[in-house]
Amino acid sequence: MTTVPVAAKPRSALQALRESRGGVSAEMKAWLKDQQDVRKRLRAALARGPRTVPDLACECGLEGGRLLWHLMAMRRYGEVTEAGERDRYVLYALKRG
Amino acid sequence: MPAIRERYDALVVGGGIAGMQAALDLSEQGYEVLLVERDPSIGGVMVGLNKVFPTLDCSSCICTPRMAEAAHHPRIQLQTWSEVQRVESDGDGFRVEVLRKPRYVDEDKCLGCDECELVCPIDVPHEFDYGLGARRAVYIPHANAIPHKAVVDLEHCVYCGKCERACPTEAFDFAQQPVVDTTRVGAVVLSTGLLITPMGAKKEYGGGRLPNVLSPLAMERLQSSNGPYGRVLRPSDGRVPRTIAYVQCAGSRDRSIGVPYCSRVCCMYALKQALLLRHSIHDVEVTLYYMDIRAFGKGYEQFYRRAVREGVRVVKGKVARIQETEGHDLLLRVERIDADGRLEEHRYDLVVLAQGLVPAWHADGVVDIEEAEDGFVRTPEAKLNPSFTTMEGVFVAGVAAGPKDIPDAIVEAGEAAMAAANHLERIRWRAGPLRAPEDEGEEGEETEAELAGQALGGRWA
Repeated sequence: MTTVPVAAKPRSALQALRESRGGVSAEMKAWLKDQQDVRKRLRAALARGPRTVPDLACECGLEGGRLLWHLMAMRRYGEVTEAGERDRYVLYALKRG
Repeated sequence: MPAIRERYDALVVGGGIAGMQAALDLSEQGYEVLLVERDPSIGGVMVGLNKVFPTLDCSSCICTPRMAEAAHHPRIQLQTWSEVQRVESDGDGFRVEVLRKPRYVDEDKCLGCDECELVCPIDVPHEFDYGLGARRAVYIPHANAIPHKAVVDLEHCVYCGKCERACPTEAFDFAQQPVVDTTRVGAVVLSTGLLITPMGAKKEYGGGRLPNVLSPLAMERLQSSNGPYGRVLRPSDGRVPRTIAYVQCAGSRDRSIGVPYCSRVCCMYALKQALLLRHSIHDVEVTLYYMDIRAFGKGYEQFYRRAVREGVRVVKGKVARIQETEGHDLLLRVERIDADGRLEEHRYDLVVLAQGLVPAWHADGVVDIEEAEDGFVRTPEAKLNPSFTTMEGVFVAGVAAGPKDIPDAIVEAGEAAMAAANHLERIRWRAGPLRAPEDEGEEGEETEAELAGQALGGRWA
């Protein structure tokens, strides 16, 4: 976990809250690490062109359901878009720009 | 965010469609209402639904104007992200304790602009989409949320401070603490709503374990235009489904899971979802396995016939178990009631369990009212005074009193508001929050009518 400098006044309240709750839980550290790992693999595969969920599952070595959830999170926050359909599967692509 | 005042005329517990209706009906009669909602937005279950039966109107299009009206009404104080902890008799009225949970965002400063949500590094399953979609650790509850304000989910926060730095109005306040406020009211309306039976209640159906076995509320989200996938896909692999089965009475009329009653809405929501699936996926086959079709409401029987006419297949049969193939297809073992109990096995891409309705809240330790054997609020005068509970001055509306559909919940909320208003008049609960109770004695010259006028916001003073 990298420490990020924050503005002086809000830092105290956030840091106090963090300390009062015993810092970031091991569970959340693992969660974030896993998320970053999955996203990295998805981005790398999608950089080669539009892919369906089974394509990505195969290329990234991820289980389909878990992969779809991450892909839909990336879609919701503007990183991924739909790029057509193939055999009842949606093709997903990285959003340009 | 205004502070909780010392007195209101009525407390409404729960800001779903029934609670909003009761609050609006009371406030339109001049009463001052405190509306408490435990979620960060009002709207309840209805605002997450796709369409309503039998008209196929857009659910949120009907619900959001009502939400805005309740939120902006001059005589309704909305208290979201808050829980009623205790309601107890206190003279004529009730003493009420309300827990206000910290949002870690100053509601008065937050613009609802999403900037914090966009920079938050953590994605977690979104409750509003029943886990199918994602939200961030700081988030606006959903697209139609009222208030449209961010809330921090501390359980998933990594304290990176990015949200705080991205906020254009310095709305974050991590020093916020939970606060318990006390107030007094003359009447209470409980409109605490529903949950559906737990996904895993019937182990033989694989709910909660098999990814392509869905709850009906998850299907509502999948069918919504702003749903988690933007279309209906299988959660296991993102495929557009070609065969879908509905298992009726999957959480109702079943003593084995402690839900012996009929939940009243499952036949209709399943028929509605099935018909809409037929409209949205051109080659989809949808089959409903039912014990009885109960289409009891206005226009419901016609809707059932329409669904069948438009290709929804209905089969009188009981699903005994659901098993999964290697590719996450689902094998349904069905006993055909309509064919001498013949056993059949059919394969589907997706299955929806028509789960029943159970109460979302229990009175235990909060209000001294009785619950019926089924867990819903007991209504001892169900025929003539359907909103009466076992405690004078405490009324009930919507699914809190028992399973019902949206029109019935709204009708009942109106009745509860009327009964609460009658009660307020009977006990002459006149001191509205416009004046503190200790001020009353000093102006003893005022007539009852004048005091009534003040309580009624001056409209008839």
